[in-house]
Amino acid sequence: MKTSHIKTHFEYGLVGILFGAVLTRVGFADYDELHNMFILSDLRMMYSFAGAVALSMVMLFLLNKRIPKQHKIFQPGTVPGSMLFGFGWAITGACPSLVFVQLGHGALPALFTMMGIIFGVWLYRKVHGRFFGWDTGTCGV
Amino acid sequence: MLEYWPWWIGALGLAGVCFAYLLLVGRLLGVSGSWAKVVGWRENRMLQQINEDFAENQNEMSDALMAETLAQFGDDAVQELQSESTPAAAPANVDIDNLESSTPWTAHLTFLLCLAVGAFATAYLTGSFELRYELSPVHTRIFGDTWEVWVALLFGGMMVGFGTQMAGGCSSGHGLSGCARLIPASLLSTLVFMVSAVFLSMLMEVMIR
Repeated sequence: MKTSHIKTHFEYGLVGILFGAVLTRVGFADYDELHNMFILSDLRMMYSFAGAVALSMVMLFLLNKRIPKQHKIFQPGTVPGSMLFGFGWAITGACPSLVFVQLGHGALPALFTMMGIIFGVWLYRKVHGRFFGWDTGTCGV
Repeated sequence: MLEYWPWWIGALGLAGVCFAYLLLVGRLLGVSGSWAKVVGWRENRMLQQINEDFAENQNEMSDALMAETLAQFGDDAVQELQSESTPAAAPANVDIDNLESSTPWTAHLTFLLCLAVGAFATAYLTGSFELRYELSPVHTRIFGDTWEVWVALLFGGMMVGFGTQMAGGCSSGHGLSGCARLIPASLLSTLVFMVSAVFLSMLMEVMIR
């Protein structure tokens, strides 16, 4: 393995640990907290989320020239995909990062969610190539 | 019991993570992209292989074409053709959208697994770690405690996986990074998934009452 690859792994790992710790501390690992947010009885995490967006906005504005381009576009899957994701999130309490956070927190049923996500991602890749074929602009890559 | 942060510390923390990700990784935070890389690593590698092979074989290809032309039309035709055409064709740019980065897929896997490590460390250090066979009391209240919960989670997970790939982002990619840059597609996506999650949660709350 190249040295640069080890460095990359280290950086990804470090930021992963940080992200996992913050998500736990905010309370996203807890289905009860999340459910309370979704039924609008406790908006604490919603404010955290909105506050983070606002702070990031300021940060990205200050760094404007140096941030990499992001490939996010309207495409036919935007709305139905987001709806599916929203329903799934309400049922499992897990978005693609939270499933790991739940698991790290000791909630074993999250393993089922994880299997579901793996299958869902795999399935979409199959279906997309065969039937859809438009540009989804999935994150980063 | 783990004390959750008040909202403003949470906001600082999440924004800090976005900044750290940008600083360390050089891209904007997006977890579903990592999922796509991890689940599709085999296909991605095959595509990359084909891509590289094609780039290498460019010269071979044109040589073969030239040899065929010579055999078919003889020397004169080729010389005529070469005097007419521009000297060198522009190098073909074979670039499949997804493959521009050289980040190995295992780095994305490391990132995802380290989310669990970070969560475990926090839970363990604050003494709130325990192995549980139910997601949470409220989840059990809504879905019961039989095997049907597992089916619900499996299907819910499928919806999350399929949906995030279809929408091209999740709560981090569209929600945090995309909204922070006011990208219209991300704003729409965030609105849609928040509203649908709220809708379904409310519905579940009404139904179990």
